Amino acid sequence: MFSPSVSNAARWLRRLALPVALAACVSSAFAQAPAKEDIVIGASVPMSGVFAFAGIGIHAGLGDYVKWANEQGGIDGRKLRYVPEDTAYKVDVSVAAFKKITSQNNVNLYYGDSTGFSKTINAEIDRGGNILMSGASFASELNDPKKYPNQFMLGPDYTEMFGILLRHIAKETPKAKVAFVYSDTEFGRDPIATSREAAKKLGLDVAVEIMTAPGSVDVSTEIIKLRRANPDYTIFHGYVLAPIPEFVSQGKKMGLKSRYMGTFWTMDNSTVMQMGEDAQGFMGVMPYRYYYDTEGKSPMLDQIRKMRPEYQSTGYMQGFLGGMLFAEAAKRTLAAGKPLTGPNLKSALTSLKDFDTGGLIGVPITIKGNSIPVGRIYQADVKQKRMVPASDWIVLE
Amino acid sequence: MRIGTAKQSYAADQALFDSATQRTWVLVLVLALIAFPFVADPYWLYLACLVAINIASATGLNILTGYTGLVSLGQAAFMGIGAYTVAVLEQRLGTPAILNLLIGGTVAMLGGVLVGIPSLRVKGLYLAIATIAASFIVHFLFANLGVTGGTAGLSVPPAKIFGVALDTSFRIYWLVVPVTALMLLGAANLFRTRIGRAFIAIRDRDISAEVLGIPLLRYKLLSFALSSFYAGVAGGLWAYFFRVVTPESFPLQMSIFFLAAIIVGGMGTILGAILGATFMTMVPEFLKLVVGWTSLGADSLQYVAPIRIIVFGVLIVGFLVFEPHGLAEMWRRVRRFFHLWPFKH
Repeated sequence: MFSPSVSNAARWLRRLALPVALAACVSSAFAQAPAKEDIVIGASVPMSGVFAFAGIGIHAGLGDYVKWANEQGGIDGRKLRYVPEDTAYKVDVSVAAFKKITSQNNVNLYYGDSTGFSKTINAEIDRGGNILMSGASFASELNDPKKYPNQFMLGPDYTEMFGILLRHIAKETPKAKVAFVYSDTEFGRDPIATSREAAKKLGLDVAVEIMTAPGSVDVSTEIIKLRRANPDYTIFHGYVLAPIPEFVSQGKKMGLKSRYMGTFWTMDNSTVMQMGEDAQGFMGVMPYRYYYDTEGKSPMLDQIRKMRPEYQSTGYMQGFLGGMLFAEAAKRTLAAGKPLTGPNLKSALTSLKDFDTGGLIGVPITIKGNSIPVGRIYQADVKQKRMVPASDWIVLE
Repeated sequence: MRIGTAKQSYAADQALFDSATQRTWVLVLVLALIAFPFVADPYWLYLACLVAINIASATGLNILTGYTGLVSLGQAAFMGIGAYTVAVLEQRLGTPAILNLLIGGTVAMLGGVLVGIPSLRVKGLYLAIATIAASFIVHFLFANLGVTGGTAGLSVPPAKIFGVALDTSFRIYWLVVPVTALMLLGAANLFRTRIGRAFIAIRDRDISAEVLGIPLLRYKLLSFALSSFYAGVAGGLWAYFFRVVTPESFPLQMSIFFLAAIIVGGMGTILGAILGATFMTMVPEFLKLVVGWTSLGADSLQYVAPIRIIVFGVLIVGFLVFEPHGLAEMWRRVRRFFHLWPFKH
């Protein structure tokens, strides 16, 4: 027979049984409701080292887009999560960052920092089949959907950048004499051979090709070569700044009438303005609109200016656009009821036709191959300390 | 306290691992290395392979610089020769991975002998500059020869062992770590032979070594050959590991990395190359982990990244100032402490 205290306890237990069982059912029902998993964007970003100037902007752009998208409710009720790592622009460190991020998170989208990294990690991306990747590289080699099926680039490749410049030159000065000045690197040599042919087709004369060491300062002998060729236009590629100022300054002193042009990584406003007075009239190709560009309707640029009242680099624009296209690919994949795999994300991305970037790029964009072959020629106005448009948007077919 | 190790035969006296304690720890290490891939995630496996490749190359440089006293800044170029050889063989002929690695090492070795020829005439900084010049020539060849794929480089198919493609960190670990272990064993044994002792004699005083009957040119070239063979094999492993080889994969900075690794680790010791390469590879990653633990978030990354590099630099300078004999000497002191414990001397 139970003692009175034990029977009291049993009574209490019986009374509690129903509410406890109910609470357990309710809580288990909640627990079983699947929490929507985050959409993870991993990123190898060079926050230190030689490429940090670009990486800091890219990091801020990607981070800001993710923040903004989450404030808008995420994608299909799922939050975006940004997981970056610094790589110092070294391939082995970048691969380590990739391994670290992917082993700790279920990554869907990845931003890579260099051509070397994009090439190195491609086999792994293809084997895993779960990730769509983009990045800072505009290498022409990556613009091959067969070889790099789960990658894309955030603008025209280097050959296409040259193509846009050459089309502008051919329109402005038919049969012009052009010089190619490029660095002795994979980056520098990338578009040269193909652009030689493109120039011929456009009726332009490639008067001289000059290859220098990357970032070299003393280029006096090369400048003499340039003077001898006396080109109407000189296109620099494979540099950020040096030795461009030296070429421009000495060329001007020697009375060269050439107009000087650059490609994406030279074309940030602050980079060009470092040339001082010599920057006047320096031209180049830019796939994105500059931070201060208020022409026409551009809600995303307005949003960026609201989030960051101070000037943001073209690297920032690239990062922001990267976030936007990643999100769009995820949105379209989920809307089609498909899982977020690399191939699904890529086919969602390539389904973009005349996609409105909210003013980040001045015209609606379409992904062709692995690139977005669009750009505009801007030129430096030193008085305003700004890059101003020198052409309309040029879309390569 | 370990009072002494009694050796009762010449064989025991000459053994590589001379005490039971040492043999036990080596066995524990081997077991740990075997178990590691089964417990580690891909990130740690990746780092383990990278460390092993760097150890192999640093050991090669240690043979040349640490043991023979010939300063070289061409180690990355020799790695490049090995990597390109392996890439070309794998891509065009599809020969077995181990054979490719051996051929890669041999081609790098021939390059090393060629570069080593001036070593009889020049020493120290002069030789270092000669090796830098050689690495520029090699870089030029990589970028301009048709067979190397020019500046775009070459993609390397995965190594295959018994038909299994080593295309994940887990699988490639079983190639990289055993090959590195074999190379370490080879290096450790080298300095128990006449050749190794000749290297040390040359390092300590080359004129005296010549007086003792050591043919300087032959041994200096041999040292270059061995060192570049190690670099070539390490480069081959690198090619299989990263699967892409470009001229920019092996910059001069990489040679400086290996030189720094053997200085920080301790020149002229096998353990020095192991500890130095591990330190140089792992500390930047470890500092990243520390930053991660502080959970300052993504926003802090841009401020913390440069600080991390400064801390890494300060650590290296600190080692050079406070322990010029490197990490190997610190390790020896720790061992001595445990041998003598509880006594101080």
